[in-house]
Amino acid sequence: MFERFTKRARTVVVHAQEIARERRSEAIGSEHLLLGLFAVPDGLAATILSRLQVDRADVEADLGRGAPFDGAFDSAGLATLGIDLEEVRRQAEETFGPGALDRTQAAQGRWRGGHIPFERDAKKALELGLREAVRLGHGFIGTEHLLLGLLHDGRARDVLVARGVGLDGTRALVEELVRKRQAG
Amino acid sequence: MTDATQVAAAASSRDPAVGLAAVASLRGLLESLEELQVGNARAQGWSWQQIAQALRVSRQAVHKKYRRFGI
Repeated sequence: MFERFTKRARTVVVHAQEIARERRSEAIGSEHLLLGLFAVPDGLAATILSRLQVDRADVEADLGRGAPFDGAFDSAGLATLGIDLEEVRRQAEETFGPGALDRTQAAQGRWRGGHIPFERDAKKALELGLREAVRLGHGFIGTEHLLLGLLHDGRARDVLVARGVGLDGTRALVEELVRKRQAG
Repeated sequence: MTDATQVAAAASSRDPAVGLAAVASLRGLLESLEELQVGNARAQGWSWQQIAQALRVSRQAVHKKYRRFGI
């Protein structure tokens, strides 16, 4: 389905995956796609969100921080066993050099590697983005269509609607901006 | 409640979610520590046989696991 995505829309999806990983989520959810839109500031979606006065910090605050992040390691889980991750890391670095523990392939593989699947609400949003593009008669899927796709359902929609961003108003704005872009 | 008793309470938790997550976190740390030690042993010229003996696993198991790391 990504073949009709613009370069910016693809970048949003790549960022969404990174964000999901950073937040230690097991899947890419609609909220990660929403945060991904902010990561491509020259995209139409980011322009629209900024016009509607929704910024990334607001959305992050609404979503909460996500799981506590400590590289590849679960420091809270280790603490329940009486293991102080900081102390283990310090000892490893004393012997094997700075960043030794976090540089292991085992740690990096857990952290960076591996494919993260899309959650159902994110998959749905991508499909709806495609439908929005078709509806507007656009032959491509841009960040603006991804934003419209996110406005139907799911966690991203809840956050956006609570901040006064609705589907109809955003659609109208997309049409207006795309017309202008085509004109000039 | 002190930190130590909190830790003890969590470690002996009968809630599977807590207990299993703790085991998973330990496995994650174990993998990284093993990799550091195996890499160090190889750098100091230890054979796979020696490493396997020290880790109390078979030579094939340790070789298969770390051969791809190029260590």
